[in-house]
Amino acid sequence: MSRTLVAVLLIAVAACGPAAPFHLAVEHGRVSRLRLVGAPGARINARLKPALELEDGTVLRFDSPHLTPDSAYFFDAPTVDAPLGDTPHTGIVRASVCSAGEQLCRTFAVAVRF
Amino acid sequence: MRFPGSFVTASVVVTSLAAASNGRLRRPAVMAASTPSVDTSAPELSNTSWLNADHPLRLAGLRRRAVLLNFWVFTCYNCTNTVPSLVEFDRRYRDRGLTLIGIHTPEFPPYAGEHDKGNVARALAKLGITYPNAQDNDRHTWDTYGIQYWPSFVLIDKRGKIRYTGYGEFHLNDAEFRTWDGRIRELLAE
Repeated sequence: MSRTLVAVLLIAVAACGPAAPFHLAVEHGRVSRLRLVGAPGARINARLKPALELEDGTVLRFDSPHLTPDSAYFFDAPTVDAPLGDTPHTGIVRASVCSAGEQLCRTFAVAVRF
Repeated sequence: MRFPGSFVTASVVVTSLAAASNGRLRRPAVMAASTPSVDTSAPELSNTSWLNADHPLRLAGLRRRAVLLNFWVFTCYNCTNTVPSLVEFDRRYRDRGLTLIGIHTPEFPPYAGEHDKGNVARALAKLGITYPNAQDNDRHTWDTYGIQYWPSFVLIDKRGKIRYTGYGEFHLNDAEFRTWDGRIRELLAE
Protein backbone atom coordinates (compact mmCIF):
# COMPACT_ATOMS: atom_id res chain seq x y z
CA MET A 1 0.00 0.00 0.00
CA SER A 2 1.45 3.30 -1.01
CA ARG A 3 1.35 6.13 1.39
CA THR A 4 1.90 9.80 1.06
CA LEU A 5 3.73 11.58 3.77
CA VAL A 6 2.69 15.08 4.57
CA ALA A 7 4.26 16.97 7.38
CA VAL A 8 2.24 19.74 8.87
CA LEU A 9 4.26 22.43 10.48
CA LEU A 10 2.82 24.18 13.44
CA ILE A 11 3.97 27.74 13.66
CA ALA A 12 3.24 29.97 16.55
CA VAL A 13 2.44 33.38 15.19
CA ALA A 14 0.48 34.71 18.10
CA ALA A 15 2.04 37.74 19.65
CA CYS A 16 4.46 36.75 22.38
CA GLY A 17 3.56 33.09 21.94
CA PRO A 18 6.32 30.51 21.80
CA ALA A 19 6.50 28.07 18.94
CA ALA A 20 4.63 24.87 19.57
CA PRO A 21 7.13 22.28 20.79
CA PHE A 22 5.81 19.62 18.44
CA HIS A 23 4.74 19.07 14.87
CA LEU A 24 2.17 16.85 13.26
CA ALA A 25 3.23 14.37 10.59
CA VAL A 26 0.43 12.90 8.50
CA GLU A 27 0.94 9.73 6.51
CA HIS A 28 -1.93 9.28 4.09
CA GLY A 29 -3.15 5.95 2.85
CA ARG A 30 -6.35 3.94 3.07
CA VAL A 31 -6.19 4.88 6.69
CA SER A 32 -4.25 7.98 7.58
CA ARG A 33 -1.70 7.79 10.36
CA LEU A 34 -1.09 10.98 12.30
CA ARG A 35 2.02 11.27 14.41
CA LEU A 36 2.73 13.96 16.97
CA VAL A 37 6.45 14.55 17.04
CA GLY A 38 7.87 16.45 19.99
CA ALA A 39 10.71 18.90 19.61
CA PRO A 40 13.98 17.99 21.34
CA GLY A 41 13.52 18.29 25.09
CA ALA A 42 9.75 18.45 24.88
CA ARG A 43 8.02 15.75 26.90
CA ILE A 44 4.45 15.11 25.80
CA ASN A 45 2.12 14.32 28.70
CA ALA A 46 0.82 10.76 28.40
CA ARG A 47 -1.65 11.18 31.26
CA LEU A 48 -3.52 13.64 29.12
CA LYS A 49 -3.40 12.13 25.67
CA PRO A 50 -2.93 14.74 22.94
CA ALA A 51 -5.96 15.42 20.79
CA LEU A 52 -6.76 16.45 17.26
CA GLU A 53 -10.10 18.21 17.17
CA LEU A 54 -11.35 18.10 13.58
CA GLU A 55 -13.63 20.66 11.99
CA ASP A 56 -16.59 18.29 12.04
CA GLY A 57 -16.37 17.85 15.82
CA THR A 58 -14.52 14.56 15.75
CA VAL A 59 -11.86 14.27 18.43
CA LEU A 60 -8.95 11.92 17.81
CA ARG A 61 -6.65 11.04 20.69
CA PHE A 62 -2.99 10.20 20.16
CA ASP A 63 -1.46 7.31 22.01
CA SER A 64 1.57 5.07 22.18
CA PRO A 65 2.37 1.98 24.24
CA HIS A 66 5.88 3.24 24.81
CA LEU A 67 6.02 5.45 27.87
CA THR A 68 8.78 6.74 30.10
CA PRO A 69 9.44 4.58 33.18
CA ASP A 70 7.23 6.80 35.32
CA SER A 71 4.39 6.41 32.78
CA ALA A 72 4.05 10.16 32.70
CA TYR A 73 5.31 10.93 29.20
CA PHE A 74 5.44 9.35 25.77
CA PHE A 75 8.75 7.71 25.04
CA ASP A 76 8.14 7.89 21.31
CA ALA A 77 5.79 9.90 19.14
CA PRO A 78 2.15 9.08 19.86
CA THR A 79 0.01 8.28 16.84
CA VAL A 80 -3.60 7.91 15.84
CA ASP A 81 -5.09 6.22 12.77
CA ALA A 82 -8.17 7.61 11.10
CA PRO A 83 -9.99 7.16 7.78
CA LEU A 84 -9.61 10.76 6.74
CA GLY A 85 -9.91 10.33 2.96
CA ASP A 86 -8.30 12.66 0.47
CA THR A 87 -10.07 15.88 1.27
CA PRO A 88 -8.14 18.57 3.11
CA HIS A 89 -8.78 18.83 6.83
CA THR A 90 -8.47 21.53 9.38
CA GLY A 91 -8.47 21.18 13.11
CA ILE A 92 -6.79 21.95 16.37
CA VAL A 93 -3.99 19.92 17.88
CA ARG A 94 -4.01 20.12 21.66
CA ALA A 95 -1.19 18.76 23.78
CA SER A 96 0.14 19.12 27.30
CA VAL A 97 3.89 19.51 27.19
CA CYS A 98 6.35 19.46 30.04
CA SER A 99 9.77 20.49 28.80
CA ALA A 100 12.83 18.78 30.17
CA GLY A 101 14.49 20.98 32.74
CA GLU A 102 11.22 22.61 33.71
CA GLN A 103 9.08 21.28 36.52
CA LEU A 104 5.79 22.38 35.06
CA CYS A 105 3.29 21.71 32.30
CA ARG A 106 1.93 23.99 29.61
CA THR A 107 -0.93 23.42 27.21
CA PHE A 108 -0.60 24.19 23.53
CA ALA A 109 -3.58 24.45 21.20
CA VAL A 110 -2.59 24.99 17.62
CA ALA A 111 -4.60 25.17 14.41
CA VAL A 112 -3.54 22.84 11.61
CA ARG A 113 -4.45 22.27 7.98
CA PHE A 114 -3.39 19.11 6.22
CA MET B 1 -5.01 17.37 -3.51
CA ARG B 2 -2.08 16.12 -1.52
CA PHE B 3 1.43 17.41 -1.44
CA PRO B 4 3.72 14.39 -1.57
CA GLY B 5 7.06 15.03 -0.10
CA SER B 6 6.33 18.63 0.64
CA PHE B 7 5.59 20.62 3.72
CA VAL B 8 2.29 22.27 4.29
CA THR B 9 2.16 25.13 6.70
CA ALA B 10 -0.52 25.22 9.31
CA SER B 11 -3.00 27.95 8.68
CA VAL B 12 -2.91 29.90 11.88
CA VAL B 13 -2.34 29.42 15.53
CA VAL B 14 -5.58 29.61 17.44
CA THR B 15 -4.07 30.01 20.82
CA SER B 16 -1.13 29.09 22.85
CA LEU B 17 -1.81 28.91 26.52
CA ALA B 18 1.86 29.01 27.27
CA ALA B 19 2.52 32.58 26.39
CA ALA B 20 6.02 33.90 26.71
CA SER B 21 6.85 34.68 30.26
CA ASN B 22 10.59 35.21 30.39
CA GLY B 23 10.66 32.39 32.89
CA ARG B 24 8.59 34.18 35.45
CA LEU B 25 5.02 33.80 36.49
CA ARG B 26 2.85 36.50 35.03
CA ARG B 27 1.52 38.26 38.06
CA PRO B 28 -2.11 39.06 38.49
CA ALA B 29 -3.06 42.46 37.24
CA VAL B 30 -3.10 43.73 40.77
CA MET B 31 0.57 42.74 41.09
CA ALA B 32 1.76 44.19 37.81
CA ALA B 33 3.22 47.40 39.14
CA SER B 34 5.80 47.68 41.87
CA THR B 35 4.79 50.89 43.58
CA PRO B 36 3.86 50.58 47.23
CA SER B 37 0.37 51.88 46.51
CA VAL B 38 -0.48 48.95 44.26
CA ASP B 39 -3.43 46.98 45.50
CA THR B 40 -2.27 43.44 46.15
CA SER B 41 -5.64 42.23 47.39
CA ALA B 42 -6.22 38.65 46.38
CA PRO B 43 -9.14 38.40 43.96
CA GLU B 44 -12.15 36.75 45.55
CA LEU B 45 -12.95 33.16 44.68
CA SER B 46 -16.25 32.55 42.93
CA ASN B 47 -16.07 28.82 42.31
CA THR B 48 -19.32 27.02 43.01
CA SER B 49 -18.28 23.36 42.85
CA TRP B 50 -16.12 22.20 45.73
CA LEU B 51 -14.74 18.98 47.14
CA ASN B 52 -13.63 18.43 50.73
CA ALA B 53 -15.76 21.43 51.73
CA ASP B 54 -19.38 21.52 52.81
CA HIS B 55 -19.87 24.96 51.29
CA PRO B 56 -18.10 27.15 48.73
CA LEU B 57 -15.13 28.90 50.32
CA ARG B 58 -14.55 32.62 49.96
CA LEU B 59 -11.40 34.50 50.89
CA ALA B 60 -13.50 37.06 52.72
CA GLY B 61 -14.42 34.32 55.14
CA LEU B 62 -10.80 33.35 55.68
CA ARG B 63 -9.42 36.62 57.02
CA ARG B 64 -7.00 36.07 59.90
CA ARG B 65 -5.84 32.89 58.20
CA ALA B 66 -3.05 32.50 55.67
CA VAL B 67 -4.24 30.89 52.46
CA LEU B 68 -2.18 28.88 50.00
CA LEU B 69 -3.80 28.40 46.62
CA ASN B 70 -2.51 25.53 44.51
CA PHE B 71 -3.50 25.60 40.86
CA TRP B 72 -3.31 22.03 39.61
CA VAL B 73 -4.95 19.26 37.63
CA PHE B 74 -4.82 15.54 38.27
CA THR B 75 -3.48 14.77 34.78
CA CYS B 76 -0.34 16.83 35.43
CA TYR B 77 2.56 14.75 36.69
CA ASN B 78 4.39 17.79 38.06
CA CYS B 79 1.26 18.65 39.99
CA THR B 80 0.70 15.25 41.53
CA ASN B 81 4.38 14.99 42.39
CA THR B 82 3.99 18.13 44.48
CA VAL B 83 0.93 16.91 46.36
CA PRO B 84 2.87 15.14 49.15
CA SER B 85 4.47 18.46 50.03
CA LEU B 86 1.11 20.21 50.10
CA VAL B 87 -0.41 17.46 52.21
CA GLU B 88 2.49 17.95 54.60
CA PHE B 89 1.92 21.72 54.76
CA ASP B 90 -1.73 21.04 55.51
CA ARG B 91 -0.79 18.57 58.24
CA ARG B 92 1.70 20.95 59.84
CA TYR B 93 -0.15 24.22 59.63
CA ARG B 94 -3.91 23.80 59.28
CA ASP B 95 -4.41 24.03 63.03
CA ARG B 96 -1.98 26.95 63.20
CA GLY B 97 -3.89 29.11 60.77
CA LEU B 98 -3.16 27.94 57.22
CA THR B 99 -5.95 27.10 54.79
CA LEU B 100 -4.72 25.21 51.78
CA ILE B 101 -7.04 25.33 48.77
CA GLY B 102 -6.62 23.39 45.56
CA ILE B 103 -7.88 25.13 42.46
CA HIS B 104 -8.43 22.24 40.08
CA THR B 105 -8.11 23.70 36.58
CA PRO B 106 -8.45 21.43 33.54
CA GLU B 107 -5.98 21.65 30.69
CA PHE B 108 -8.26 20.17 28.01
CA PRO B 109 -11.94 20.46 27.06
CA PRO B 110 -14.45 18.22 28.84
CA TYR B 111 -13.88 15.21 26.58
CA ALA B 112 -10.65 14.54 28.48
CA GLY B 113 -12.46 13.87 31.75
CA GLU B 114 -10.73 16.54 33.82
CA HIS B 115 -14.00 18.44 34.32
CA ASP B 116 -15.75 15.46 35.85
CA LYS B 117 -16.26 15.85 39.58
CA GLY B 118 -16.13 12.10 40.13
CA ASN B 119 -12.74 11.90 38.49
CA VAL B 120 -11.47 14.75 40.64
CA ALA B 121 -12.86 13.08 43.75
CA ARG B 122 -11.09 9.83 42.88
CA ALA B 123 -7.84 11.72 42.36
CA LEU B 124 -8.17 13.43 45.74
CA ALA B 125 -8.75 10.09 47.45
CA LYS B 126 -5.87 8.43 45.64
CA LEU B 127 -3.50 11.27 46.50
CA GLY B 128 -4.62 11.58 50.11
CA ILE B 129 -5.82 15.16 49.71
CA THR B 130 -8.22 16.23 52.45
CA TYR B 131 -7.96 20.00 52.07
CA PRO B 132 -10.66 21.85 50.09
CA ASN B 133 -10.56 21.86 46.33
CA ALA B 134 -12.53 24.04 43.96
CA GLN B 135 -13.39 22.98 40.45
CA ASP B 136 -12.27 25.77 38.16
CA ASN B 137 -13.74 24.26 35.01
CA ASP B 138 -14.32 27.60 33.31
CA ARG B 139 -10.83 28.80 34.30
CA HIS B 140 -12.26 31.92 35.83
CA THR B 141 -10.02 31.79 38.89
CA TRP B 142 -7.02 30.74 36.79
CA ASP B 143 -7.51 33.74 34.51
CA THR B 144 -8.27 36.14 37.33
CA TYR B 145 -4.98 35.31 39.00
CA GLY B 146 -3.08 35.35 35.70
CA ILE B 147 -1.84 31.79 36.07
CA GLN B 148 0.02 30.16 33.18
CA TYR B 149 1.54 26.93 34.42
CA TRP B 150 0.60 23.75 36.21
CA PRO B 151 1.31 23.66 39.10
CA SER B 152 1.27 27.24 40.40
CA PHE B 153 0.99 28.68 43.89
CA VAL B 154 -0.33 31.89 45.44
CA LEU B 155 0.25 32.58 49.13
CA ILE B 156 -2.14 35.08 50.71
CA ASP B 157 -1.64 36.68 54.10
CA LYS B 158 -4.12 37.08 56.92
CA ARG B 159 -5.27 40.44 55.56
CA GLY B 160 -6.11 38.96 52.17
CA LYS B 161 -3.04 40.31 50.39
CA ILE B 162 -1.03 38.32 47.87
CA ARG B 163 2.45 37.96 49.31
CA TYR B 164 4.14 35.23 47.28
CA THR B 165 3.55 33.53 43.96
CA GLY B 166 5.42 30.78 42.19
CA TYR B 167 5.17 27.71 40.05
CA GLY B 168 6.75 24.36 39.37
CA GLU B 169 7.07 20.98 41.03
CA PHE B 170 8.84 20.57 44.35
CA HIS B 171 9.34 17.72 46.78
CA LEU B 172 9.29 17.06 50.49
CA ASN B 173 12.20 18.83 52.15
CA ASP B 174 13.91 20.01 48.99
CA ALA B 175 15.06 23.63 48.73
CA GLU B 176 11.83 24.87 47.19
CA PHE B 177 9.79 23.06 49.83
CA ARG B 178 11.82 24.74 52.56
CA THR B 179 11.34 28.12 50.89
CA TRP B 180 7.56 27.74 50.84
CA ASP B 181 7.61 26.36 54.35
CA GLY B 182 9.46 29.46 55.53
CA ARG B 183 7.02 31.75 53.75
CA ILE B 184 4.06 30.02 55.36
CA ARG B 185 5.63 30.29 58.82
CA GLU B 186 6.38 33.95 58.21
CA LEU B 187 2.77 34.70 57.40
CA LEU B 188 1.44 32.63 60.26
CA ALA B 189 3.66 34.56 62.67
CA GLU B 190 2.27 37.94 61.63
